[in-house]
Amino acid sequence: MKKRIPLSSVLVLIILAAYGIFTLFPILMGLLNSFKTDGEILTSILSFPARPSWGNYIRAFDKTSYLASLFNTILIAAVGLSGIILFGSLAGYKLSRTPGKLSALFFSLFVFSMLIPFHSIMITLTRVSLKLHVQGSRIGLGLIYIGLGVPMAVFLFHGFVKSIPRELEEAAVIDGCGDYRIFFRIVLPLLKPIIATVAILNTLWIWNDFLLPLLMLTDSDTYTLLLSTNMLFGEYNNNDWSAILAALILAMLPVVVLYLLMQKYIINGISDGALKG
Amino acid sequence: MKRLRENTILLTFVLPAFLFYFLFVLVSASGGLYYSLTNWNLLNRSYDMVGLANYVEALTDDPVFIQSLLFTLKYVGAMVVLQNGLALLLAVLVEGRKKDKPFFRTLFFMPNMLSLIIGGFMWMFIFTRVLPYVAEHTALKFLDQSWIGDPIFSFYSILILSLWGGVGYLMIIYIAAIQGIPAALLESAAIDGAGPFQVFRHISFPMILPAVTIGVFLTLNSSFKVFDAVYALTGGGPGRATQVVALNIFEEAFHMNNRYGYASAKAMILFLIVFLITMVQLWVMKRRELEA
Repeated sequence: MKKRIPLSSVLVLIILAAYGIFTLFPILMGLLNSFKTDGEILTSILSFPARPSWGNYIRAFDKTSYLASLFNTILIAAVGLSGIILFGSLAGYKLSRTPGKLSALFFSLFVFSMLIPFHSIMITLTRVSLKLHVQGSRIGLGLIYIGLGVPMAVFLFHGFVKSIPRELEEAAVIDGCGDYRIFFRIVLPLLKPIIATVAILNTLWIWNDFLLPLLMLTDSDTYTLLLSTNMLFGEYNNNDWSAILAALILAMLPVVVLYLLMQKYIINGISDGALKG
Repeated sequence: MKRLRENTILLTFVLPAFLFYFLFVLVSASGGLYYSLTNWNLLNRSYDMVGLANYVEALTDDPVFIQSLLFTLKYVGAMVVLQNGLALLLAVLVEGRKKDKPFFRTLFFMPNMLSLIIGGFMWMFIFTRVLPYVAEHTALKFLDQSWIGDPIFSFYSILILSLWGGVGYLMIIYIAAIQGIPAALLESAAIDGAGPFQVFRHISFPMILPAVTIGVFLTLNSSFKVFDAVYALTGGGPGRATQVVALNIFEEAFHMNNRYGYASAKAMILFLIVFLITMVQLWVMKRRELEA
């Protein structure tokens, strides 16, 4: 029997390829032109760089204080993430296991706040953080992320704990284990899959969040990758594209590498989070 | 006695999370509600209660805010249709592939990993440099538009950027929904002689309808709060033609007169819109569950 390729399958491939080009186009154009001089960008924007050079990257690396900005971003995300996971799992677990009005009240308070848009609280939040002396500090910003991120984490942990049988914990109680020991020794290891989901969702959120750091961080030494890139963009104001493009490629590099290494977990985490959240 | 002990332990587990949540979310939210009823601004030390005056001003006497509401509405409408339509189409097509399925899924989702600030600057390069260049040097003359400077075309560029960043996310959700359809159902339909379109129309689509509800409301929610894409690409311009609600609140509070009380009222209006959408969503989903 002869194999024939049906017309519809060719059409499908054309649509997918077209969308693939659309997806990659800005990134490839950025990459291509980040190795050119400004003059070359002007005269031949579509061609390969005639004499590719790292010059733009060195300039952008310098101008954005790349390593410092990267460190700041990691620090803020690490503070936020560890608090969200630890406090979120503690609360989500116990709220899920305790019946009664008090437990239901706490849970609905957490869930209700998931409806509040960030823009609706940001004005007062800047005042609150000024009063609490966390404004301008990286650790302080991480602490704010704990407050903002903990409701969804509680919600996700709460849902997950419902699906684990209680027998292990009950056996531990009979053996005389305290509540905290049960949590850290028995429950926490069982939470691994949902911890992964919570970690992925929150890392992406904090890493890519722009507005809150913009409002909180005033000193350019404390800037995140996004803030330094934004500052560089404002400074060159649409003119020095060679340096801007290099800075953009540098800024997206950590996320792209992380994505290519862990894409299976990331995609699973994202769809889990969306369907449960 | 047992209940008391139980609740004490509950408190020790919940308190760390609740403390952070209380300080940064609850205090800020209730403070925002309170300030929205005052004429507080940064210039004056004292302020008075003004009742609902801020709300009345925002909704009747602030053409810029009303325009930003209307523009956001237009953006939301376009996004709900285009983002969900495209994501559904791609999900169906990608799910139909065999060997290259993971490749397309990985590729299409990638922009979602990047901040729209980064993506916005990248697209700014495309709109202000690459497209004019292509129009000048090829036959594609229609690409020579003022993509950022013209009110109509800047709306399109914001849409293009938002779709570029967001379609992959919904596609992942739709793919998960398609994978949830029992294979036996599709096979028996094919054996009964149903074509691929009929299978989609009568089996796949009804089965993924709940996911479409989720997708539509996710888009409604996120599009009403859109900020990064507009900030990076047009900054709300030209003039204020593409200013969205979140940007209007941001400017009112931090860039113009620092009218915190007034900006808080606008922020509450945004909250009410998002709240209303979610209530409708819960109602729709509940009703569907009852029907099923």
